[in-house]
Amino acid sequence: MVQERRILYEHLDVPNINTFDVYRQHDGYKGFEKAIAEYQPDDISKMVMDSGLKGRGGAGFSTGLKWSFVPKDIEPRYLCCNADESEPGTFSNRYVLEKNPHLLIEGILICCYAMGIETTYVYIRGEFTLGKKMLDAALEEAYQQGYLGDNIKDTGINVNIYTHPGAGAYICGEETGLIESLEGKRGQPRNKPPFPAVEGVFMKPTVVQNVETLCNLPFIVDKGVEWYTEMGPTYGDARFDPPKPDQNTGTKLYCISGDVNEPGVYELELGLTCSELIEVAGGLRGEEVKAVIPGGSSAPILTHYELDTRLDFTSLTLAKSMLGSGGIIVMNETRNIVDCLLNIMKFYAHESCGQCTPCRWGTPWVRDIVQRIADGEGRQEKITRPKFGIAEGGRWGDTGETEEIYEDLDLLESVANNIANVDTMTWNTICVFGIAVSWPAVSYMRKFRPEFEAAIREGKLVTLSVEEATVPPEENYAFQQRIIPKEMSELA
Amino acid sequence: MSDEIIQLETPFQFNEENKKQFDELIGRYPIKEAAMLPTLHLAQRQAGYITPAVMRHVADLLEVTVMKVKDVVTFYPMFFEEPVGEYVIRVCQTLPCALRDCKVVLDHLKEKLGIDVASETNLAKGTTDDGKFTLMKVECLASCDVAPVIMINDDLHKNLTPEKVDQILAELPS
Ligand SMILES: Cc1cc2nc3c(=O)[nH]c(=O)nc-3n(C[C@H](O)[C@H](O)[C@H](O)COP(=O)(O)O)c2cc1C
Ligand code: SF4
Ligand code: FES
Repeated sequence: MVQERRILYEHLDVPNINTFDVYRQHDGYKGFEKAIAEYQPDDISKMVMDSGLKGRGGAGFSTGLKWSFVPKDIEPRYLCCNADESEPGTFSNRYVLEKNPHLLIEGILICCYAMGIETTYVYIRGEFTLGKKMLDAALEEAYQQGYLGDNIKDTGINVNIYTHPGAGAYICGEETGLIESLEGKRGQPRNKPPFPAVEGVFMKPTVVQNVETLCNLPFIVDKGVEWYTEMGPTYGDARFDPPKPDQNTGTKLYCISGDVNEPGVYELELGLTCSELIEVAGGLRGEEVKAVIPGGSSAPILTHYELDTRLDFTSLTLAKSMLGSGGIIVMNETRNIVDCLLNIMKFYAHESCGQCTPCRWGTPWVRDIVQRIADGEGRQEKITRPKFGIAEGGRWGDTGETEEIYEDLDLLESVANNIANVDTMTWNTICVFGIAVSWPAVSYMRKFRPEFEAAIREGKLVTLSVEEATVPPEENYAFQQRIIPKEMSELA
Repeated sequence: MSDEIIQLETPFQFNEENKKQFDELIGRYPIKEAAMLPTLHLAQRQAGYITPAVMRHVADLLEVTVMKVKDVVTFYPMFFEEPVGEYVIRVCQTLPCALRDCKVVLDHLKEKLGIDVASETNLAKGTTDDGKFTLMKVECLASCDVAPVIMINDDLHKNLTPEKVDQILAELPS
């Protein structure tokens, strides 16, 4: 069985690790001290780039690359630490804040040193009262010990960290929504470009980084890039000659919930498969896996045929899903997928910030369609439309044939695709909340179409067996189009 | 006319301690308006909910229009514009909690307290007559590993069953 690899969480359960002294005794602030003693700021940025660290908050964007976009000649620059953690199924940042806040402070210090940043705001979701309290206490200690404030450790570096509470809006997790909210306004995302790296909070260059991403920094600096890159797979992008390396380095704080025996956060090297993770989490609670959400509720769902997918950024993207925030939700054979989708759509309908028409109107519309189907009032009429499937040349596409589909299912798909189109990956909305709505809506419907059809046909929710509920692999758009990446070592 | 309104309202001003906290807060940001959310949290803690008088006071302190404060208050679910109970009970309803029977917990609370679930536009229907409890549904509280969960004011309660809920309610200081 795959073993846990605790790095960020290594000392999480040490009693009083939240205090400065105990944190110090466990190599605390070693990474930061090494950074200021041995490296120039640019060296740190280069190390982060070379480490292949990708953002853990959702988008999986290269951290080093993001830093390289920040103009160095505009002062002041800011760091916003994203501790809004509201993606359903995600709960790893909470434990860092509540149990090991000095690790986050150290990560922030390294980022500030590398980027020449003097002010950091940690945007903590409003419900995290304990997390905020623990971090505030740790900050006070760090100020007293001379690790924060002016002229830190006689280096001439000044860093101030402030916590900032949110107030219950999911969209403030989106980086520009967070910035607007931090400025004291409604948390409505901004149009991009300009990206926050160029023009962020208070219209100054801003680095927005998730808690977990920042917590990786002390280890990259302390133990070195080589040590770090040994963890997790490095794939080769075979479209390039020679293949371009695509790093999925480091560990991930996988959050697993739902139908497993031991839900929780497991820190593992990136790249284990979905079935392996379920094993690590004490195995399935129930008889059979029906479905797995691999990256928080925004991610497209996986069927039991897709459980061999590796849980890393590249593999999941190529399987037409995403690692997102690393929140894995498992559903067993007793679950009804229509009901699950309804739950998720209620969430999104409530959380749309309301700026863009497709999202403001489309999201409640999708919810209403699913509600209608779940209530047994799905429209019985059928329509005829072009059938997609394995077309000429063995590739997914328009087969030239037609199919009959319940009007409501076609409507569900088209409303969702008009918020953000999951096939072309295009959208007319300001932020990617739109795709976070249409991804689940379309993927659940397409992959578990028999269960949706049964609900409409029978006029009530019917939970089919796993086999009956799932479309076979030949008809699964994602399964047919997925690419399984090869590791560099295999390509050589 | 305006005299009349002022008389109907309870006036609001930060107390000594909160004023001190506010003064510290305001120093954190290059613009005053940025202190909006923490200031509103502070005010809500003192006043119980965000009254028009609270909004006026916050607007004065941050040097913005009252409309701007109202704009923010209406956006965020954690700010209340109506009175709420002494204990606000937030029951998580999102998928991972739903997979762990959060509905049983919610139904139990509804029955036990004899109230409906509050909605954003009608907090009264989810508040007990004695003003002790307000029952609300919320979304993922980032504790899905210990689902189902509820929050009572600032405290999280995990792995709930109806029996555990009874016990927790019985132990609340009255
Ligand atoms: C709707 C939406 C919600 C998001 N919520 C969060 C969140 O709660 N926490 C988080 O770290 N990132 C969240 N993100 C991702 C952020 O926009 C951003 O990519 C991230 O904070 C960048 O940090 P990273 O590169 O370290 O991951 C969200 C994105 C979207 C579109
Ligand atoms: S897509 Fe939705 S959440 Fe994002 S800005 Fe537009 S309305 Fe707001
Ligand atoms: S769904 Fe209830 S805490 Fe996440």
